[in-house]
Amino acid sequence: MSDTVSMKKRGQFKETWRRFTKNKGAVIGLGFIALLAVCALIPSVIAPYGFDDQLLSRRFQSPSGAHLFGTDEYGRDIFSRVVYGCRISLTLGLVSVTISCALGIVLGCVAGYYGKVADNVIMRVIDVMLSIPNILLAVSIVAALGTSFFNLMLAIGIGAVPGYARVVRAAILSVKEQEYIEAARSNGASDLRIIVSHIVPNCMAPIIVQATMSIASAVLSAAGMSFIGLGIMPPTPEWGSMLSSGRAYIRDYWYVVTFPGLAIMLTVFSINLLGDGLRDALDPRLKS
Amino acid sequence: MSALIEVRDLKKYFKTPKGNLHAVDGVSFGIERGKTLGVVGESGCGKSTLGRVTIHLLEATSGRIFFEGKDISQIGGAEVKRYRQDMQMIFQDPYSSLDPRMSVSNIIAEPLRIYRKCRDEAELGAQVGRLMDRVGLARRLADAYPHELDGGRRQRIGVARALSLNPKFIVCDEPVSALDVSIQAQILNLMQDLQAELDLTFLFITHNMAVVKHISDEILVMYMGKMVESAPSGSVFAERFHPYTKALLAAVPVPVLGGKKERRLLKGEISSPVNPKPGCRFAKRCEFATELCSAEEPPFAEAKPGHRVACHHVKSINALA
Amino acid sequence: MSDTILEIKDLVVHYVTDRTTVRAVNGISISLERGESLGLVGETGAGKTTTALSIMQLIPDPPGRIVSGEIRYEGEDLVAMSPARKREIRGNQVSMIFQDPMTALNPVLTVGDQIAEVVRLHQKISRAKATVKAQEMLELVGIPGERYPEYPHQFSGGMKQRVVIAMALACDPKLLIADEPTTALDVTIQDQVLDLIEKLMTGSGTSLILITHDLGVVAEICQKAAIMYAGEIVEYGTLPHIYQNTQHPYTVGLFGSVPNLNEDVDRLRPIKGLMPDPTEVPAGCVFAPRCPEASAECSAAPAPVVEVEPGHFVKCHKRRGGGSK
Repeated sequence: MSDTVSMKKRGQFKETWRRFTKNKGAVIGLGFIALLAVCALIPSVIAPYGFDDQLLSRRFQSPSGAHLFGTDEYGRDIFSRVVYGCRISLTLGLVSVTISCALGIVLGCVAGYYGKVADNVIMRVIDVMLSIPNILLAVSIVAALGTSFFNLMLAIGIGAVPGYARVVRAAILSVKEQEYIEAARSNGASDLRIIVSHIVPNCMAPIIVQATMSIASAVLSAAGMSFIGLGIMPPTPEWGSMLSSGRAYIRDYWYVVTFPGLAIMLTVFSINLLGDGLRDALDPRLKS
Repeated sequence: MSALIEVRDLKKYFKTPKGNLHAVDGVSFGIERGKTLGVVGESGCGKSTLGRVTIHLLEATSGRIFFEGKDISQIGGAEVKRYRQDMQMIFQDPYSSLDPRMSVSNIIAEPLRIYRKCRDEAELGAQVGRLMDRVGLARRLADAYPHELDGGRRQRIGVARALSLNPKFIVCDEPVSALDVSIQAQILNLMQDLQAELDLTFLFITHNMAVVKHISDEILVMYMGKMVESAPSGSVFAERFHPYTKALLAAVPVPVLGGKKERRLLKGEISSPVNPKPGCRFAKRCEFATELCSAEEPPFAEAKPGHRVACHHVKSINALA
Repeated sequence: MSDTILEIKDLVVHYVTDRTTVRAVNGISISLERGESLGLVGETGAGKTTTALSIMQLIPDPPGRIVSGEIRYEGEDLVAMSPARKREIRGNQVSMIFQDPMTALNPVLTVGDQIAEVVRLHQKISRAKATVKAQEMLELVGIPGERYPEYPHQFSGGMKQRVVIAMALACDPKLLIADEPTTALDVTIQDQVLDLIEKLMTGSGTSLILITHDLGVVAEICQKAAIMYAGEIVEYGTLPHIYQNTQHPYTVGLFGSVPNLNEDVDRLRPIKGLMPDPTEVPAGCVFAPRCPEASAECSAAPAPVVEVEPGHFVKCHKRRGGGSK
């Protein structure tokens, strides 16, 4: 009798990892994200001070050996606050993107795959959502549900749903016409199976790009929300609120806003690098 | 002997902004087990739609489909899924009919997974291995991805996938037109071998006259959704009663010097049958057309035993008694 | 003076990327007389289109590069020519019909304007005269001149290919290269287009290179044929040479692979195996791995070109003895 053929995906993970590591930018991005993740997990080990240790006598100290990033208007160590802020900002970015991604993919799939009435209804709702400024939408959701960390993430996540739904729908419309979808149908595959195992994997590229971009904008929106008092409440360190509270001192004490700002920028940048790398690594066609 | 699959007066209309497109308009045929019916025609004649309607990939507008004597034209849902095991399809484009994100083994295994044909992964692997052997794919390619392979091997994957559920009937939609000639011949031979070995019944759709002649037992010529001529393969090519069939065959370039006897240039082009007018659809391009042709639809009738033609003037054109 | 319009000598074209070199064309030689038509036959990846683009001097560079060889058009070497002179010749004296009529026309310009533009590009004539010329060209290919102001989407596939042909012929080229001009068309339309090309060729003195994979099309409108395989011309001669005294095993295989309308065969006789990867062309004869007649010498050294009868060239070790079969 003939021996069997391996049904595992040929070291799929190894293959993907090999392609991923070839992309230097992506590796740098991943390295920085890993660093942030460590900060988020064990901030108390890394940070030299607590995030709310106030000492009014050392207000606005310039960066030095004792205070790497200097201190703020209450004499809190900015480095420690940036480290603690990782937890909030990363959680916020990831959770809100997960929410918007999940909702957006489902809506986009239904609209794109089934078309007709479902498509019309969903896309008109999406159009309406798009016509409301994101921040206004988030403000109303938080105002309605009450101020809390989860509600903030939910509000930001919902604001990003239309973007996903449109991207996913557009991708599906082109993938749907491919003959392998018809082939799967002729093999008796159910709609769910077709969507999950054929359509979504082939729509990954635009979804990943959208996701990496929206993690960045989620962090920034959170900053905006904190700024108008509907986001993270002080003294919880969050990069956006650090920026907004430090804004008043920007002329005299540059480091108060620079370091949280840099943290946001680098995070966003490395997530984008990581996303590009992932997109290419996950595509078996781009192997060389 | 009764036919494995039979369709009667099958119609498929598509709604378009301009009106109803009569893609398939009253087609009937039957195929006996182990035989091949070749459907030929130019692009837009409805041959692909016919194939899809026959196996319920598209719902027919009207008409009846019998499979092993049972009327399956009204079935839906779970029953369609059950019949899918017996009725499979091989697609035209080996580049777009395989999911680029799935490995060869997973593509072939998918139908087996959907129908839970194998108890465990080991049995599944064994089955996939056997299928790969059967279609002449080296087992080392099991982990490869479609884009790493050439057109011929990709088409073999498509064939293996169609065979995985042990179907009785396979619709082949232009399975070789996207391939180079030397590869084309390999795939055609493979399909003939499989047919003989597994007693398969084919509905073979193509625009290539030479291929259809080579592989078919019976031939059905379509024009703008209508049946024009049908007969045993040899008979269509030897006698070609319908003016369209004559023109179509005369237009095929033959790789033999002086092989082409006559240039019987067909005027005009095929148009799409949107809200077609009554009468013969070929009348506008036909050199023999008379008033009768544009007024009344010709019956699809026997001109000779086993050889049916839809033409008012079949007797006078062909000097038949 | 000889009446040779085009002479290609030992043309080698490579596509060089970071890691690999694709040897698309490996030392081919062709010569074409005025008014003659040559069929360039081969499968995907044989180098047919690369050859055509080399003649047009349209090889995308990078990655493409003409490594060596000459392409003499009326005695002038196109490879060494100045870009300005190339532009003068291209589209004017040498023009090309592309495979896909659907994408070869600009969808936002009327077909008439597109033809007139070609004329005005190469001839110093007024807009009005160019318009008249464009209408004449349309009539020539069997499209009423009144359709001048219509857009490509208003034409069917066969009509578009006629427009493309009208464009290619607008400047009365001396050499026309047609790259699979009928592959995208239905047989009855193909028949019309081939008939048109044939009619336009005879009488105008234009030479034609017809690129195709279909031996039937060549049999209809060409006088000579060159069979290409993996970047080389494996057999070259007049149609009777190729069709009635087929010598190269690959050509034999090609004929055996095509089901024939006029005769019945139970089984096709395909060529076993696959075209070699153009980045790793076999060291010996390129066809040796698939050849039923191959022996040790075939994979050892490249095949020599043998003239088996006057004007009939075969690139094969086994035909060295004079090529009886």
